[in-house]
Amino acid sequence: MQPRHSGASLLTQVEVKRSISDLTAADWLRLHKVARALCRAASFEADDLLQEAFQRALDGTRQCARTLDIVYFLAGVMRSIASDWRKARKRRPEMSLITETGSLQDVVLQVRDNSPIADEVLAVNEETARLKAAIFALFVDDGLAQRLLAGIIDGLAGAQLRSLIGLSETEFASKRRLIRRRIDKAYPKDWTS
Amino acid sequence: MSQKNKGQSSRLDRLTDTIVEDILASSDADLLAEAAADNDDGATLARRAFERASRTVAVRRMARAKNPPPGRRPSAANIRALDPKTARGWLDAYLASDPETAGQLSRAVRRGNKLSDEDVYGMLEVLQQRGVLTEKPIEQSRR
Repeated sequence: MQPRHSGASLLTQVEVKRSISDLTAADWLRLHKVARALCRAASFEADDLLQEAFQRALDGTRQCARTLDIVYFLAGVMRSIASDWRKARKRRPEMSLITETGSLQDVVLQVRDNSPIADEVLAVNEETARLKAAIFALFVDDGLAQRLLAGIIDGLAGAQLRSLIGLSETEFASKRRLIRRRIDKAYPKDWTS
Repeated sequence: MSQKNKGQSSRLDRLTDTIVEDILASSDADLLAEAAADNDDGATLARRAFERASRTVAVRRMARAKNPPPGRRPSAANIRALDPKTARGWLDAYLASDPETAGQLSRAVRRGNKLSDEDVYGMLEVLQQRGVLTEKPIEQSRR
């Protein structure tokens, strides 16, 4: 089956399938690492996320611009799916059917109120603060990495982040990689592992 | 979720985004070296996920082709829009392809029950509902 080059700005489904099939070993690995990183903050599996992204690309639910690298495209699809899944999980009400008398007319549908109560919010905040401290502790031997980490979680990026810490692009990339590698080793599956 | 709680989540999201950026920016050689050092079989797992996805999409496509969603199903021809002669032609064509039914009909006709136009339309509609009628494009204005 030959890809159809229509001159359109989007890849056809045949072209998408061929582009993915032709990925190098490094790109397959890259995609799996991205999936794992995105799943660290949620309780779903990297393989499931990756499969869902492939499915949406193959069935045309998500379309790839001809100018976009297919790996970047798939990473974007995964990010979007992960975000949707996390939101859906938060929204999903816990329901239970209760029959007090055993007759169908008397079935009561109980829906849990999902609005967070103060205790829950407090617990989440405490957990996040504990996690943040644990992540910073991974770099107790590297003040520069800690400053970089602080800048990242405060929302700085790119040249602004580099200039704050006074790093060249190469030094920045090297330090960012060190942060990723240590986090990968400390939290191989999720933020609680 | 409170603003503060959202902020806590988004801080970790920013860290995740940075990690993803780094993975995308890393050289092939660096990633392969990491995988070798960590015994990481992510490449194989990703390829398997793709194979599963390909199979799932193919199965869904076959299922859709067999049973298209209502909006895409070709609409059945309006039998009543046929002129009586064409309708009898369709019925004759069906009977020619189904001798058993044709035999029963012949006996009925022999008993003097000549088919009216209404009978012809009615039979065609039944055949259409059973999905055994071979329909042709209808010129709606002919009747």
